[in-house]
Amino acid sequence: MNARARLWGAVAIVLAIIWAFPVYWIFNSAFQPVEALRSPNPSFLPDFSASGFGRVFDESFVDSLKLSLTVTLLAIVAAVLCGFVAAVAISRFRFRGRRSFIFTVLAIQMIPPEALFISQYKMLNDWGLLNSVVGLGLLYTALILPFTVWMLRGFVDGIPIDLEEAAMTDGCSRTRAFFTITFPLLAPGLVASSVYGFLQAWNEYTLAVVVMDPSNRTLPLWLKGLTDVSNEAVDWPAVMAGATLVAAPVIILFMIVQNRMTSGMVGGAVKG
Amino acid sequence: MSSTRLTRKAGPYALLVPAILVLVVGMAYPLGRQLVLSFHEFGRAQQFGQPAPWVGLDNYRELVTDRTMWTVIARSLAFCLVNASITMVVGTLVAVLMKRVATAPRLILQISMLLAWAMPVIAAMTAWQWLFDTRYGLVNWTLQKLGFNSFDGHNWLIDPLSFFFVASVIIIWMSVPFVAFTAYAALTQVSEETLEASHLDGATAIQRFRHIVYPTIKPVLTIVMLLQIVWDLRVFAQINFLQNVGGTPSETHLLGTYIYTLGIGQNDYGSASAMAMFVLVLTLALTFRYVRSLLKEEPR
Amino acid sequence: MKLTKIAAAAAASALALTALAACGSSDGDKADGGSDTVTLWLAGKTDTPPKVEAWLVKEFAAQHKGKNLKVQHIDWGELIPRLNTALQSDKTPDVVEVGNTQAATFTSVGAFTDLTDKLDQLGNNIGPKSFVEAGTYDGKVSAVPYYWGSRYIFYSKKAFKDAGIKVPTTLEGFDQAATQLKSDGNSKFSGFWLPGQDWRNGISWIFANGGDIAKQEGGKWVATLSSPESVKGLTELQGLYEKATTAPKDGKDAEPWTAFNNGEAAMFMAPSWARWSVDKKRAADLGGFALPGVDGGAAPVFAGGSNLGISAKSKNQDLAFDLLKLIYSDEFQQQLAKNGLGPANDKFTGLMGDDEFAKAAVSAASNSKLTPASPEWASVESASIMEEFFGKIANGGDVAAAAKAVDAKLNAALNK
Repeated sequence: MNARARLWGAVAIVLAIIWAFPVYWIFNSAFQPVEALRSPNPSFLPDFSASGFGRVFDESFVDSLKLSLTVTLLAIVAAVLCGFVAAVAISRFRFRGRRSFIFTVLAIQMIPPEALFISQYKMLNDWGLLNSVVGLGLLYTALILPFTVWMLRGFVDGIPIDLEEAAMTDGCSRTRAFFTITFPLLAPGLVASSVYGFLQAWNEYTLAVVVMDPSNRTLPLWLKGLTDVSNEAVDWPAVMAGATLVAAPVIILFMIVQNRMTSGMVGGAVKG
Repeated sequence: MSSTRLTRKAGPYALLVPAILVLVVGMAYPLGRQLVLSFHEFGRAQQFGQPAPWVGLDNYRELVTDRTMWTVIARSLAFCLVNASITMVVGTLVAVLMKRVATAPRLILQISMLLAWAMPVIAAMTAWQWLFDTRYGLVNWTLQKLGFNSFDGHNWLIDPLSFFFVASVIIIWMSVPFVAFTAYAALTQVSEETLEASHLDGATAIQRFRHIVYPTIKPVLTIVMLLQIVWDLRVFAQINFLQNVGGTPSETHLLGTYIYTLGIGQNDYGSASAMAMFVLVLTLALTFRYVRSLLKEEPR
Repeated sequence: MKLTKIAAAAAASALALTALAACGSSDGDKADGGSDTVTLWLAGKTDTPPKVEAWLVKEFAAQHKGKNLKVQHIDWGELIPRLNTALQSDKTPDVVEVGNTQAATFTSVGAFTDLTDKLDQLGNNIGPKSFVEAGTYDGKVSAVPYYWGSRYIFYSKKAFKDAGIKVPTTLEGFDQAATQLKSDGNSKFSGFWLPGQDWRNGISWIFANGGDIAKQEGGKWVATLSSPESVKGLTELQGLYEKATTAPKDGKDAEPWTAFNNGEAAMFMAPSWARWSVDKKRAADLGGFALPGVDGGAAPVFAGGSNLGISAKSKNQDLAFDLLKLIYSDEFQQQLAKNGLGPANDKFTGLMGDDEFAKAAVSAASNSKLTPASPEWASVESASIMEEFFGKIANGGDVAAAAKAVDAKLNAALNK
């Protein structure tokens, strides 16, 4: 069995290398002189003496980083809060309109963003919410909410109601049973939805460009700005360095939470 | 006593209020406004203060009678089906692989998938562009080194079929991580004891998969597939990027890019709104069967 | 019920946020009437050199006690979408820069203030004329030239020397030089780097032979790519595609210096700033000359550059016009020229420099042309009509037939 497990492990690593190669190429390109990027002889190894990072890590990056973090965190907190209670409602209760709500949540994810952003702009404009963290945060919350609801509902469903009932026969009220037994088991679900929501909001471009002022940019806009030069050549190593910086927080976040994203805590909770 | 009964009854509805509020404000209201907009003529002149005349279904009529539109739709459907199915299969297999291996290889695989997923689209597309570059691309370079000399200066984008091949590679590369992660999370929710118990009872791996694993993960897989179909049908950024690199745009338009050129590209927001509504209806039609099966499984 | 409490809290905060926002949206300094700040939107981060911009800000403040000039930089890619929304809001910028080919998009909807009667206050000789035309709609001038750039041929002096070629003085001479350079080189070598869909450079052959993209006839646009002159130019161009270049047939005009840097091309055509993207190792070998015309002189080439307009909704009309006057002042025009930007006042063109590159730029610009000043031109570009047409020619199609087909497309698009 050991050899087979190791074989699968090897397959996984090979697959990982193949999948990550374009990302390696991005990272590698951040450490090349510009001319090396499109030359007949590709440079496979980074040349650490030629770094695009220095050119790109400046005040505008930090400002954009702060803005992106604020808006994204706001959207995640709001979406997970609203999504969690909605997921519990759908999962644990039976009520009129339940199916319609589920259908709506599904259907909303099919709306093309082009069908919305013009009116979303006008709406925010009418309410004076343009170029504001609240305005963009609201739109981002709406953006990630449907999938968050769906995901959390799946996780709540996956926790058998027997656990709560077992606790209730021991004398707990429904609510207490929920919060002491089920809720902790939901931790992976909450974490997973947060990561998904983070990723969606972090890399969102269209809404940000429409809502925010040119001086107030989220990271995707900042990155696009690096490529938008008209009187000189694009500094590709710097752009690639910038992209690495933009992706870094997502990776870091994932590393921190990855062991909480899976359950496996169900074992042992149900007696007999 | 009566207060608990009231809260009992109001319970679920009260829990839904925040979500409904956010969705109505953030999505339903703009959607409604844009639907109204689609019945008006709203071009550049209207952007700058001219009144917007009501044109009824004219925007829609122009859309439906555009011969190219139907070619684009057919192309988009084909592209979507191919990509969505490959992505689902590969993604699920990767998830199974993740479940099977030890922690170290699993983490390495997950991180590499995450890197692919987290990379900003501009950077990823540029890297892929360089890899497939006609003169200096790594792909051609590698193929040549392997002895395929015909790939010296091979142009990957000029032929539409080849263009879509490259587009598919990139889009599948970008989409699989999402499927893999979600499927993996669903797999971890499969009860280990039930699996072990049935194994002890003599069930084979396939039987275990069919009767225990699959039912648990099916709802998740269905929703992921739905999203993949929706997304692959409307893909824009990647196709647009590749069209700016090479190939003949009129032969490589998919719904996303075609609609963009007709609508936003010409500052014709009335038409653009009508097109977006049209795509929404198309999407719903395409996914109707799956949505219905999902809903059917819901108790009232 | 704790759950409902969470729900209630979430709902309440959501409502509160929206209510708060709806109430408190007043902005501060933009009351009715003018304000103390004039806002100028410049496109691109450094298209206007920072020190030139700094001078403008300082001088404006000095000349207008108590008022100041605020400059905002908008990326080119975002400029049009932002202008579309900003120009009709109360927070409109006062003066904006737009690309010369973009001006018609805004002049045709009255987004800019009509300046026809005040033009003489800016100067007697505002140019280039094509830019003034680009900023004119229905006989009214509302976007005036800001600066112009031009494109010319960059070449390898060594390659010319080795082939025994001198800088060509006629277009035909250029074609021959390019063909010869290619045949002298290996299979990957291009005498002249000419990507198939690069219409902004390729169009020079049409212009040089007296052809054009389209002209206005009695209020309608008539496409002229199938005129005999245009077809002559296109056929000549097709010869180059066949015999003078190895560039991809679906290539665009991005980063044309790449092949040159890799020693795989002897010439390429680009705007003047491309000079700084040539590998430093090759800088000594680099030279420049204006694409020669059919009978000598400089061929008409596609002009780069920007126009300026005053937002019609701006509350600072007088101050905005003062800013324009300051931009058209001799000192500012000199600064533009000294920094390599073609000034609207051609008195100062000589200040742009003496080296061969400056000479090439000036010479190329003397004869420059623009795309049709139609508000629908933007949709032609967004539909890649020109790219596809040139790509067809590059692939060896029947020139006359392709030209007729594209004229039909252009007529439909321009006369919507």
